[in-house]
Amino acid sequence: TEWNVSVWGKRRAFTEHIHKLAELVEEKTNGEFTMNISYGGLSKNTDNLDGISIGAFEMAQFCAGYHPDKNRAITVLELPFMGVNTLAEETAVSHAVYAHPAVAEEMANWNARMLMTSPMPQYNLVGTGEPRDTLESFDGMRVRATGGLGEAFKAVGAVPTSVTSSEAYQAMESGVVDTVAFAQHAHLSFGTINEADWWTANLNPGTVNCPVVVNIDAYDMLSDEEREALESSIPEAIDYYLSNYGELLQRWDSVLEEKGVTKVMVSDAELEKFAEVANPIHTAWIEEMTAQGLPGQELYDLVNSTLEDTRASN
Amino acid sequence: MDPIEIGLGVTGALLVMVVLGMRVAFAAGLAGLIGLVWIFWDRFDYAPDRFGRALTIAIKTAGQVPHSKVSSQALSLIPTFILIGFLAYYAGLTRALFEAAKRWIAWLPGGLAVSTVFATAGFAAVSGASVATAAVFARIAIPEMLKIGYDKRFAAGVVAAGGTLASLIPPSAILVIYAIIVEQDVGKLLLAGFLPGLFSAIVYALLIVGLALTIKGFGPPVTGFTWRQRFESLPPALPIVAVVVIIICFVYNPFGGDAWGTPTEGGAIGAFIVFCMAVFRGMRWPELKDALLETAKLSIMIFTIIWGVLIYVRFLGFADLPSAFSDWITSLHYPPLLILVCILLAYAVLGMFMDAIGMLLLTLPVVYPAIMALNGGEFVSAEESAFGMSGPMCAVWFGILVVKMAEFCLITPPIGLNCFVVAGVRPDLSVQDVFRGVIPFFVADAVTIALLVAFPAIVLWLPSLA
Amino acid sequence: MAGASSVLEDSSLLSRLDRGLLRLERLFALVSGIFVFGLMVLAVISVTGRNGFNEPLPGYVDWIEAFMPLIAILGVSYVQRSGGHIRMDIVVGRLGGRALWAAEWLTTFAILVLAVALLWGSWSHFLRSFDMGAPLWSRDSSIDIGLPIWPAKLVVPVAFAVLIPRLVLQLWGYGRAFLQGLDRPVAVPLVQSAAEQAAEEAEHLAARD
Ligand code: NA
Ligand code: NA
Repeated sequence: TEWNVSVWGKRRAFTEHIHKLAELVEEKTNGEFTMNISYGGLSKNTDNLDGISIGAFEMAQFCAGYHPDKNRAITVLELPFMGVNTLAEETAVSHAVYAHPAVAEEMANWNARMLMTSPMPQYNLVGTGEPRDTLESFDGMRVRATGGLGEAFKAVGAVPTSVTSSEAYQAMESGVVDTVAFAQHAHLSFGTINEADWWTANLNPGTVNCPVVVNIDAYDMLSDEEREALESSIPEAIDYYLSNYGELLQRWDSVLEEKGVTKVMVSDAELEKFAEVANPIHTAWIEEMTAQGLPGQELYDLVNSTLEDTRASN
Repeated sequence: MDPIEIGLGVTGALLVMVVLGMRVAFAAGLAGLIGLVWIFWDRFDYAPDRFGRALTIAIKTAGQVPHSKVSSQALSLIPTFILIGFLAYYAGLTRALFEAAKRWIAWLPGGLAVSTVFATAGFAAVSGASVATAAVFARIAIPEMLKIGYDKRFAAGVVAAGGTLASLIPPSAILVIYAIIVEQDVGKLLLAGFLPGLFSAIVYALLIVGLALTIKGFGPPVTGFTWRQRFESLPPALPIVAVVVIIICFVYNPFGGDAWGTPTEGGAIGAFIVFCMAVFRGMRWPELKDALLETAKLSIMIFTIIWGVLIYVRFLGFADLPSAFSDWITSLHYPPLLILVCILLAYAVLGMFMDAIGMLLLTLPVVYPAIMALNGGEFVSAEESAFGMSGPMCAVWFGILVVKMAEFCLITPPIGLNCFVVAGVRPDLSVQDVFRGVIPFFVADAVTIALLVAFPAIVLWLPSLA
Repeated sequence: MAGASSVLEDSSLLSRLDRGLLRLERLFALVSGIFVFGLMVLAVISVTGRNGFNEPLPGYVDWIEAFMPLIAILGVSYVQRSGGHIRMDIVVGRLGGRALWAAEWLTTFAILVLAVALLWGSWSHFLRSFDMGAPLWSRDSSIDIGLPIWPAKLVVPVAFAVLIPRLVLQLWGYGRAFLQGLDRPVAVPLVQSAAEQAAEEAEHLAARD
């Protein structure tokens, strides 16, 4: 069996688990089951679910926030201030939500089946000028943040501004935005860190959720041995991803130092205020999903309970 | 069958369709579609009962491309740049520029021809398309050159060659297209075109001065303008400067401090200023409607090639042809610079028979990865690279080289479109006359390209500041 | 490269259908031009809003992306009508009479095959983003302000639905020219030499100099 895998951009920390998975699967099946990982050659990133649904390729990565209406159920994972702090927690809540029947059903509309997540750290801000570490200081701030994050910043008076991720650096340099919310690896690869004066170390407003899915028909056509090889490799691939991203995070502090970027710590009191302001966004999300016949409350509670369980087991 | 063999087969079929006169956009789209069907059916081992399935997947895959590839903010620069050119014409900027250039520099040997070159360069700063620039200046500059005794063939050659500057000096539709195909920063590429464009203009001017000094009976210098007359010629041409400054400020602020916005915004603001001028000069709805229809026509033509070719490129992605080609190029045991020169020469030959945009769209998906691999990959540092520049800088440098090649092709026989346009404007000139007149500029272009290859700094200096 | 060329007209049914369709095509092209203008206005609003009032246009990028199919694709048939899509005419430029009409008929037929396939493909692309049961009928939305994408996706099959009758008319025109051995048939773009084409382009500019 040979699978085509559609991802985008360049090979980076964000896609390492897919490469690891391909490697493990090939090894376990003695080269019977291989994966061709294509960066943008097979589809545009926002069309990856379409490609899976057509059957053009067998596996793909996408991000929920690129097209919320395609994947309403998992947007719960992109709500602001859900309180996720580590990549391990992010992995646990993602996989719990992916296993929910409502998610499986929505994905089945695309002939897709959830395989694993691509855990992303919290999208912290880099910014120019004076550090912003209170809610008042966010007032009038032009921030590049999309989806639920954008709404959270809007709730405290900031102005979410649309630029594409590849234009983010230029937008910051030109003052189109004062701040950009990204995960660390994206601050590095899109160069926003080079323009920054400060970085919020603990604002942790939320993140994006980017699953890896497989085409259901292709999955069903695997031999038992191949399917076993695939499923059994997932934990190892995720572990590899986590340790690889962990190294990047360790380097992060020295990058900050090297570029002369101040690490801003927001006080707990301010964080609490921010989370409170963002609360109505949660309620609104639950109402909207329920109105559309999705188990909004159930999914929302599932995230919280999984988070508690994960912390308890550590 | 090997996907790469399928890739080569379909590419051959595409060339046949193009040579037979099928519209390039649709030939590429159809070749891509056929290739996709072939690839998917191949994956089903050519089982007859699964042909229908392969066909469905292929058609649905191809059917995504027009919408998803065209819906891009970066591509929105193309219609904007085209609109600026049409509006600038109505705003009377063309004649104003030529008049100013004449009063200021026509005292040089071969002065009127030199003025023409710099006026086309100035117009290039508001026009994104070469052919339109040549057509406009053929009407304005050739009569004046003939009046004072220039050889008519040479006068035509100056205009045909000067027109090509429009695609190097920003704004340039073709540079935007390059940036999109290779997924590089549009702003950096536009900035990078500025100096090579100016450089080309200077090489043209030096050539003209040289010819004027050596050939007897060449057009005489035009003297006798007072300083008052000179300064009076400036205000009507000033808006061009304003537009240029604004576009540059939006890409990279030369005055220090923040740039004013993104290139997309800069292009649009530039168009808006020229629009206001055109309204001030008497443009009303009938003329505006005309300009909008012309803009639409040219934009649609370009976009149709873009999505058509991108269907073919999507097929190439499934066939994995680009990476196979770049593996082959990097395995060759020739010096990288020699390979680069061979590729540029291949463009010169191809460009004799093809349209510039079609040529770039068809070849770049395969050639660009090969060039990048040759230099040492996307992430290579300047020290470890073959051409002595980092990956992103190599992308910029190669882009300017390729666009300069494409411009060169606009004046080479047998299908040098600029020459046809100039001959079309002047009933007293045959196409052969224009081709003969433009010959000296081949030499100038060859020199320019050689210098850009030898001294990449001419290209890379400005973008490296930004 | 062939650019625009001329299309002859007379009182035949074919020519009347040609002109009827042209009215629709010209309207589509004008929509395209107006949206280019709109793009410019949008940028001016966005820049002034941002710099003057700290109020950037929400979803600026999303709106541009939604406009683009209207600008880039809707008028595809208008350009096909006059033969404005570029091609290499080294070979066809040398043909004449029935050989020319046969070649034109074949390449036009190939375009028709592609257009029908893409009508199907782009329609299914639209259908995947459209859901009668969802709010705003949307099953695909934009990244920033969650704009439904189906209207922009619908533009593509609409454009092909106009291109297909245009191609059928051209096949009819070329087929008629081939069968009757016509010299200057109506309703099809006539091949112009590069020189004729340039002359026309020059004339066009002259008209407004
Ligand atoms: Na230009
Ligand atoms: Na040529």
